[in-house]
Amino acid sequence: MLVRFWGTRGSLAVAQTAGSIRSKIARALVAAGGRSFADEAEAEAFVETELDFATGGTYGGATTCIEIEADGDGSFIVCDMGTGLREFGINAFGRCAAGHQRVYNFFMSHLHWDHIGGFPFFGPAFDPGAHIIVHSGHADAEEALRRQQQEISFPVAFDWLRAKIEFRTLVPGESYRIGGLDVEVMEQHHSHKSYGYRFTDDAGKTTIFSTDSEHKIESMEGEADVAAFFRDADLVICDTMYSLADSVSMKEDWGHSSNIVAIDLCHEAEAKRLALFHHEPIYSDEDIQRMHKESIRYEELTRRDRPLEVLCAYDGLEVRL
Amino acid sequence: MMWTQEVREGAIVAVPRGKIDESTAQAFGTSLEEAVGHAADAAARLVLDCSGIDYMSSRGLRALTLAKRKADGAGVKILLAAPNGVVREILAISRYDKLFGVTDTVEAALTV
Repeated sequence: MLVRFWGTRGSLAVAQTAGSIRSKIARALVAAGGRSFADEAEAEAFVETELDFATGGTYGGATTCIEIEADGDGSFIVCDMGTGLREFGINAFGRCAAGHQRVYNFFMSHLHWDHIGGFPFFGPAFDPGAHIIVHSGHADAEEALRRQQQEISFPVAFDWLRAKIEFRTLVPGESYRIGGLDVEVMEQHHSHKSYGYRFTDDAGKTTIFSTDSEHKIESMEGEADVAAFFRDADLVICDTMYSLADSVSMKEDWGHSSNIVAIDLCHEAEAKRLALFHHEPIYSDEDIQRMHKESIRYEELTRRDRPLEVLCAYDGLEVRL
Repeated sequence: MMWTQEVREGAIVAVPRGKIDESTAQAFGTSLEEAVGHAADAAARLVLDCSGIDYMSSRGLRALTLAKRKADGAGVKILLAAPNGVVREILAISRYDKLFGVTDTVEAALTV
């Protein structure tokens, strides 16, 4: 199973500014200390091995879109339609040209803008040979996608799309076989609800997609059910938008979780890897990198029998399980 | 998790000991809220002597928040005193050191 992150930012797509790029270049030049490089390959090796990620790279700014590639039935498996979906669609065209099936199984956490806003720019929706199946815990998924393409918001109406598009409502607690994977669904606490998904391939590899989920302070006893849903997962992709303090104070009821709670849940579930996800849009790359380092440290401080690998998702990250 | 409590210099000083995680957080929270009640009755501050806490997970931290809400409503000030290095790091990583006053010693918490 290969998990590919096309969009990892929460709430609102963001872009690097000229000032932030200038700062990265300045830091890189200082780190180089006057060295010269024979060619771009040598310079890239320096960036890769000697610069921290916030200097030599970026976590990106596209909103939620994750692809799961598994030895299933040959269809695409995609979680959410944030702005990262545009890049996925361009990439998928290339793979379809090389023979990949033009079948897309989408799994929707929920229907807020940052999770559907990429669909009007999803090229394969205009492909008459494509088959798109939108799986959602929400029965109003079709209404949400149609509404964002009404003329007041977008020039291309939903009915002008050429792909065959279907909507299927999934029920929490039920198990499904979709795209050659076993799929389970969990209801989560978020405005208008959200849904988490557990995907297991035939090799037994499991990925959890759990974003836009607030773990309410008044119902901590219910977290045992969440840990059970995460149980023994190879990868848990978890909403870690805020610090714990923010999530229980000024940002309480905003529908999101923290790195601290995500690590505790993964420890309780004995999961193998956690991907910090749905990054706060006001965070710079340095802020996200600091949050990642602090998360690794918290995991070390509270570790039980088995270490939990704490990854920090970025646009373009691939995790092979 | 063990819990002892005393009145010292007009304050309620509570001393939890052990790990505070999902297995002990409920007992920790119950004791904490009872201590807030005692402090409210005595019009005293509540000093949580953290020196005996090995570590505290998010469950314990959030129990602190629930107790703080009750304390704020009753006009009780909660201070976290003498956390060990691990707990101090956890308070910083979770940003709980922005929500609570943290002192190096119990004596300092009694006088600030």
